[in-house]
Amino acid sequence: MRLDEFAIDNCLKCSVCNAACPVYSAHAQYPGPKHLGPELERLRCEGVATDTAWLEYCLGCHRCDVACPHQVGVSEMIARAKAKHRKPLVRGLRDWWFARPGLLGRLTTILPALSNFVLSMAPARFLMSKLMQIAPQRVFPAYIRPDLRTPTIGAHKKERPRVLFFPGCFIRYNRPELGRKVIDLLDRNGFTTEVAATDCCGVPALANGDRTKALSLARDNVRTMANQVNAGMRVVTACSSCGYMLKTGFGGLLKDDAGLADVVQRIGSQTFDLAELLMEQSDAGTLNTEFQAANMHLAYHAPCHQKSQGIGRPWFHLLRQIPGVTVDDIDAGCCGMSGTFGFKQEKYELSMAIGRQLFDRINASQPEMVATECATCQMQIEQGTTYKAIHPAEIMLQAYDRQPL
Amino acid sequence: MDSHRFDVVVVGAGTSGLTAAGAAARTNQKVALVATGPGGFVLGSGCLQAKEFTHARISPLMGEAIAFFQEMAQAAGGPLEGNISEMHYLPTILGDFQGVALAPRSLWNAEPRNGSRTAIIGIRELSCFDENFMAERMNEQARRLGFACTYTARQISLAHTFGGPVTTPRIATRFDNDPGFRSELVKALRLAASGFERAVVPGILGLHSSAQQLAQFDRELGCSLCELPTLPPSVSGLRLFNRLWSYLHEIGVELFQGFPVQKVQIHDGSCLELQVASPGHPMILRGECVVLAAGQDSAALLGTEFAGHDERMRPLTAGGSVMAWNLFVAESSPHDRADSSGDAMEILAGYRAGNLAAETRGHYATG
Repeated sequence: MRLDEFAIDNCLKCSVCNAACPVYSAHAQYPGPKHLGPELERLRCEGVATDTAWLEYCLGCHRCDVACPHQVGVSEMIARAKAKHRKPLVRGLRDWWFARPGLLGRLTTILPALSNFVLSMAPARFLMSKLMQIAPQRVFPAYIRPDLRTPTIGAHKKERPRVLFFPGCFIRYNRPELGRKVIDLLDRNGFTTEVAATDCCGVPALANGDRTKALSLARDNVRTMANQVNAGMRVVTACSSCGYMLKTGFGGLLKDDAGLADVVQRIGSQTFDLAELLMEQSDAGTLNTEFQAANMHLAYHAPCHQKSQGIGRPWFHLLRQIPGVTVDDIDAGCCGMSGTFGFKQEKYELSMAIGRQLFDRINASQPEMVATECATCQMQIEQGTTYKAIHPAEIMLQAYDRQPL
Repeated sequence: MDSHRFDVVVVGAGTSGLTAAGAAARTNQKVALVATGPGGFVLGSGCLQAKEFTHARISPLMGEAIAFFQEMAQAAGGPLEGNISEMHYLPTILGDFQGVALAPRSLWNAEPRNGSRTAIIGIRELSCFDENFMAERMNEQARRLGFACTYTARQISLAHTFGGPVTTPRIATRFDNDPGFRSELVKALRLAASGFERAVVPGILGLHSSAQQLAQFDRELGCSLCELPTLPPSVSGLRLFNRLWSYLHEIGVELFQGFPVQKVQIHDGSCLELQVASPGHPMILRGECVVLAAGQDSAALLGTEFAGHDERMRPLTAGGSVMAWNLFVAESSPHDRADSSGDAMEILAGYRAGNLAAETRGHYATG
């Protein structure tokens, strides 16, 4: 999804994408990004039928794109083919739901206590496994009634820069208190935050092959944010997948929509990952560094969609500024969860196999806890190791007050 | 704390870029390396051809540069055997012998030795390595070169693990990640190599494995194992790249991988910043000194004004003025290239540029 206007002739078949692909390494039969992307793309361009169920196995992690020495948009080719792929009924139905975490969040949070009770019941999970092919080993995150609003405190400070916070589904429906912590962190660093009334970013829809849904979400989100973005406000994300989508995906989906082109381009260039924004403060010498000493060893895992944003490793550098904190940058590849991928019954074992390198490295590091900004990476790390995994923003905020996490 | 400002920024992670970053980093400066991919290591085996050193007109720095590169590779756990003044014969998958000066240890072991008996072990599920063809040709070629040694074709099957056709990167990543698979492989190879003192296999022994891990594998096997690079990606080349990349990370070089530098901002004879083509908005990197080691892309980044470089590797305009005092182009001069070639010249260019950048930066800092 980088320079997708690049011709497939840029692919020299050097296979570096295959060597970088987490699925190719862990699954003996997966044909790999080179084949599913540029190789089959030639046939697809000629109208030859090439549909294969292997398309469902692409994680959308963009590691192939990042590895490619010639900037071939490998994963975008696969994503487009995935959108035309036909699935059997049950998988299709399940993936329809997985493509709509926003809808799922709105429904489950009508009566969150009931939803959480049902989702945690063994018989319900057994049924979901049998009827929906959802891995019974997975625990759904608890749903909480959404109450993330633009705070009124600090709003009067007119002279401060205002940023628009794009919370994403996980923060909105599962962890609104994390959203409040992000707002608090921004407040302590001189920003007044407005919460965007947006829907799902569309990454799960694309990952599940539902391009139509992704397109309609992108269009709605762009319209919702248009006024603030046109007024020059920067957009802040705390989820690396949402951030990646806002920076590049909207442009890819809406490139033929001339009416929205301008604001789509603005969203792309004005979107900042939370850590990217804070690191900018740090580089300018304006970061609030009134940290209390913490004496803690952390393992940091950079999510794939953080790496594909090409912003260096801001959380690693930020966390290291807290006195007494040591950070081990666990550079051990993809965790294998990839949003909804790891929830799929037929992909559960593979998902855990992909994560094994990461789990081993975390275990060897013996941290107090793991910091990673992606919610599903956190779930996977907690499933694959005995360590707690939390968003680095929580650690940083805690360091200001030295409150227990 | 400024995470995007460095003493030295190196652009490109081919042989010259890695060398430049290593050379600059050893002077305790804050170094960044920004690159899209592993340069020539995807295709190259990690060997240095011997013919490059038969010519006399080589920079006196060459020996020092090669020694530095060898030290760096050694420290990275991917040692290169050999030295620049001697030629050794190593086999290719076409059954020929090519003259090389330096090679990764796992390739070096395949050198023909008088009286040696070597098994050429193919893998049934891997189509790009024909052990029968190779053994036949290598016996013939060894005779011509005057070596009294024999090569015998053997085959193993990895169907138990892979089920069907397989490629070298897939075997290599399994080798890296799965101790169970390594045990299976040892068992299969031990049988095929029994009665031979050496065994030659396609390049499959991991994309990240260190020389120590490979030595351990040899011990378990009970004979010396040698690799031959096959179709791209070159497993031995990528392994050397991965070892060097991790090594630079360990010694504190900040690595930015995946996105190209789209603009080198030069103003008033000074390189101010580099714009990296990250999604959304460019990432800005600033270096007191910048080394361009991006092959042909270096010239493209400097634009049409660029017309070569001076003896301190600074880019020059057609009129002969220096474009930027703090910019160094890691590129060998055309006359050097005609005389020699390839990786050795890249090492030399990277070594010089890295040192010049570090020295200039040091001078600037104290002055």
